[in-house]
Amino acid sequence: MQTTKALPSIIRIAKYTLIDEVRQKSFVIMFVICAIFVFLIRGCYQGNYTVNGQYLDSVTVVRALSKVTFHIIGAGVMIIAALLSMRIFRRDRNEGMQSCILSKPIARWQYVTGKIIGLWTLSVLFMFILHSIVFLITSINLNVFMPEYLVASLLCSVNLLFVVIAVLLLSLLMPDIVAFLCVLGVGVVGFVTDGIAAVSQSQMAQSMMQQSGSHPQSDLAWWKVVYYLWPKLLGVQQSASSLIGSESIHGFGPINPLINILIYCLILGALLFHCFRNEDIV
Amino acid sequence: MIDLNNVTKRYDSLTAVDNVSFSVKAGEYFALLGPNGAGKTTIVKMLLDFTRPTSGSLSLNGFPSTDAVCRTAIGYMAENNHIPPYLSGWQYLLRCSELLDINRSDAMDQCRRIVELIGMQGREYTKVGTYSKGMIQRFGLGAALIGDPKLLILDEPTAGLDPIGIREIRQLLDSLKNQGMTIFLNSHQLSEVEKICDTAAIINRGKLLVKDSISSIVKDGDTLEDVFVRLVKG
Repeated sequence: MQTTKALPSIIRIAKYTLIDEVRQKSFVIMFVICAIFVFLIRGCYQGNYTVNGQYLDSVTVVRALSKVTFHIIGAGVMIIAALLSMRIFRRDRNEGMQSCILSKPIARWQYVTGKIIGLWTLSVLFMFILHSIVFLITSINLNVFMPEYLVASLLCSVNLLFVVIAVLLLSLLMPDIVAFLCVLGVGVVGFVTDGIAAVSQSQMAQSMMQQSGSHPQSDLAWWKVVYYLWPKLLGVQQSASSLIGSESIHGFGPINPLINILIYCLILGALLFHCFRNEDIV
Repeated sequence: MIDLNNVTKRYDSLTAVDNVSFSVKAGEYFALLGPNGAGKTTIVKMLLDFTRPTSGSLSLNGFPSTDAVCRTAIGYMAENNHIPPYLSGWQYLLRCSELLDINRSDAMDQCRRIVELIGMQGREYTKVGTYSKGMIQRFGLGAALIGDPKLLILDEPTAGLDPIGIREIRQLLDSLKNQGMTIFLNSHQLSEVEKICDTAAIINRGKLLVKDSISSIVKDGDTLEDVFVRLVKG
């Protein structure tokens, strides 16, 4: 089937996925709670902070806190994207939409692509709106204008694509809740290994290991393998957040986490299409 | 229009469909009959590529069933049809027409005509969650008729309908047949099948027992039910 002919069907399925999710009360409640939470954080920007006896100026405080909120929103929306994705195939099956769509001249890959695009768009919009609220608070209330905050938000959308594809794939192979927990586990392990890597690269950790007589290279080899091969969700967030407060795009952190996640998206996407091709439609 | 060539479907040790071959010509009103668990729904699912045969091949409109193009002019209604409860019947029909690439104004016209055809005027804008099973079946049939299909595949279309509803659906299918539509019916309603179908196939435990015109299957003095029971009980 030609791609140009396939595109309208994919867009329609994506549109239905998005509309059907937004229609759910649970989604609306989740969104309102998140928006209220982000609004409540604005009080933290206006406090007086001192570090080592030195008073921090408001711009430094705003930038530092914006980065923290950026990470919290990024991680939170990843969990929400996983929650939205985990039940999508089952719901479509139970409500008869899967058989309705696939009895039309629509191929399975079009259906799956539509689902991925719909869920991804919804999660990206969710995250972008929350990040935009922070951007508006810092711009209007605190007069710190950070357009790079929104660029960083868009870069983080790669993480959401990974989460959507991974949960959709796993939900074909195991119960929905287990699929959700597995992807949550992947995220947590990624965050921990990235944390260990950051600590081990600090001067303090290096000197502590030298004093205790251990050999950093051999002792840390096991987690280095995990560190390089594991999906680098935190790495993408850190790279994206490195844009916040930097003067130009040259402030962007290492690009390898982004490549790592994109490769994972390709591999998991291929597996998802393969598994769904062999799936029995009820 | 429909061709099955030595089709076998196995689920682990269970053989749901065992080396079945038959064809349905264009314009034919065909019924696939068999007791529960005979493999009727599995055949329908294989025709629509909802499940793949273990061996053999199926084709629709000259295309292999695995090719999405073969479903271009096909209407399908599932057994125990489900519709998202948050949509109205009208929204569901519109969604089905959008999926077939029908432009908005044509889709509206078609949906209006179909709502009338299935006798659901006045209820089309209420949520599906408030519908009875029979009403959902009617909208399922309506959705199958969108796009003026050449082939209609119906899996137990009268399930859940009251006697008046069954008669209305029978009359509707009869008129569709007169318009030249090919109908593939999967049913337990033997008396209905005997009244309206041209040809029938009876399967049991996945094996094809007979495939012929109704007049050839049912001899003088017999009913389709008599022949069915005799064949199935062996």
